[in-house]
Amino acid sequence: MISLQTVFIAFFGIATIGFGILVFRTSSMVRSALALLFSQTALGAMFLAMQAEFLGVLQIMMMATEMSIMAIFMVMFMMDPGGLGAMEMSHQKRLSILAGVVGALATAGIALFTPWGVVVNVAPPAAEQIRALGTELLGRSMLIFETAGVTILTAMIAATAVALPALQRKRNA
Amino acid sequence: MNTLVIVLSLLAGAYLVAVLEAWLATGRFRLAAPAWAAVALLGRESIVPRTPDRIFFETAPVLLLVVALLVSAVLPLSPGLIIADMTTGALFVNAVLAYVPVALLMAGWGPNGGYALVGGWRFLGQTIAYSMLIVMPITAVAMRAESLLTTAVVTSQGAVWNIVYQPLGFVLFFTAAMAVSFLPPFDLPTAGGELAGGVEAEYTGVRLGVFRLGRMVLVVSLAAVTTVFYLGGWMGPVLPPWAWSAIKILAVSSTMLLTGHYLPRIREAHLLAWCWKLGIPLALLNIFIVGVMVLIWP
Repeated sequence: MISLQTVFIAFFGIATIGFGILVFRTSSMVRSALALLFSQTALGAMFLAMQAEFLGVLQIMMMATEMSIMAIFMVMFMMDPGGLGAMEMSHQKRLSILAGVVGALATAGIALFTPWGVVVNVAPPAAEQIRALGTELLGRSMLIFETAGVTILTAMIAATAVALPALQRKRNA
Repeated sequence: MNTLVIVLSLLAGAYLVAVLEAWLATGRFRLAAPAWAAVALLGRESIVPRTPDRIFFETAPVLLLVVALLVSAVLPLSPGLIIADMTTGALFVNAVLAYVPVALLMAGWGPNGGYALVGGWRFLGQTIAYSMLIVMPITAVAMRAESLLTTAVVTSQGAVWNIVYQPLGFVLFFTAAMAVSFLPPFDLPTAGGELAGGVEAEYTGVRLGVFRLGRMVLVVSLAAVTTVFYLGGWMGPVLPPWAWSAIKILAVSSTMLLTGHYLPRIREAHLLAWCWKLGIPLALLNIFIVGVMVLIWP
């Protein structure tokens, strides 16, 4: 007997893959970026269907902003006014296909052959999940997250610093 | 039942906001003006521009309306009058608002026209400016409530409303809310008199009607968010809770419209500079102050 939950998980899973394929099938940066966005949104919906409420909502939120900003940066860097021009979205096709197939097989292998232990039948209530996540972030995993945060901040400051002399040169010219 | 009541209230609110906007624009108070404008839009031919991205073009107005309606799904108008009291309610508001720029990007890029395109990309720039000022004040609100439940946020304001408890957060959120709903002085994506309507430029007829309705509902929804997060939601003396919600939401929407009416349109680069150099440090300061206050005076 297939439960409604399984149907939803399967539906959003297929949507994730479908939009993922669309990323490489269009010839436009904007369409490609938005296809990636909807692929990630479907993944967020999949989390929701799996009763991981916080993770799902977070995924849906983060990806919308990230992908839109990625789209504007792609258009700014690609010398394509407004992103209206057509461009090939795939490169080094044979190598990419090979890497994709190997990656997919490896992931499927890990999913199928790893002894995952006992899988919980009932997900804990959403409030409990958030509390557990908060405790985890401020406990055992604090060092990892703080290190990642500081690294990203350093990269941002470094990137700005690198960009500044170029701006100065442009002004002087 | 709750869904029907909330959707109908939102539409009624959007109608009143449209009346107010028309009043401010023309100087004449006409209660029937938006109805006539809607009839005119419905009767007009809905032109499709040459070589559009049909999916984006058709989806954008509907997506904007859906986003605006979804924001209200997690907001309580009175105790028990809520569509979905999600455990992650405050975060959900954030998540849904993140799709406003997606709708505007689609509306800008889809029709394959210059003015719309500029408007759409401009709004993405605007998003980079305001998005932190939405997220960070909400964080401080959730800190005081010690919960992401929107009903818990309202009840946490029993002693004193958040507008008094964290005024800095309120000012930042209110400003950012105006930027999300691209009201003047943040109307860069539509920019009347400069971009020929911007993202709205290529839309006519029914599609334009849906787009404008979406925007009006968005204004009301954001006013409702402000009410729930900062003005004590349904709380107030004498009148029933729903009446207090309605009064506060209308007051916030009118304040948004009036504020914009008397301010000149802000430039993209200035908006980014102000938001990042002043807004974000202030938002961090707000989180710090609220953090200290929660410890000494919850």
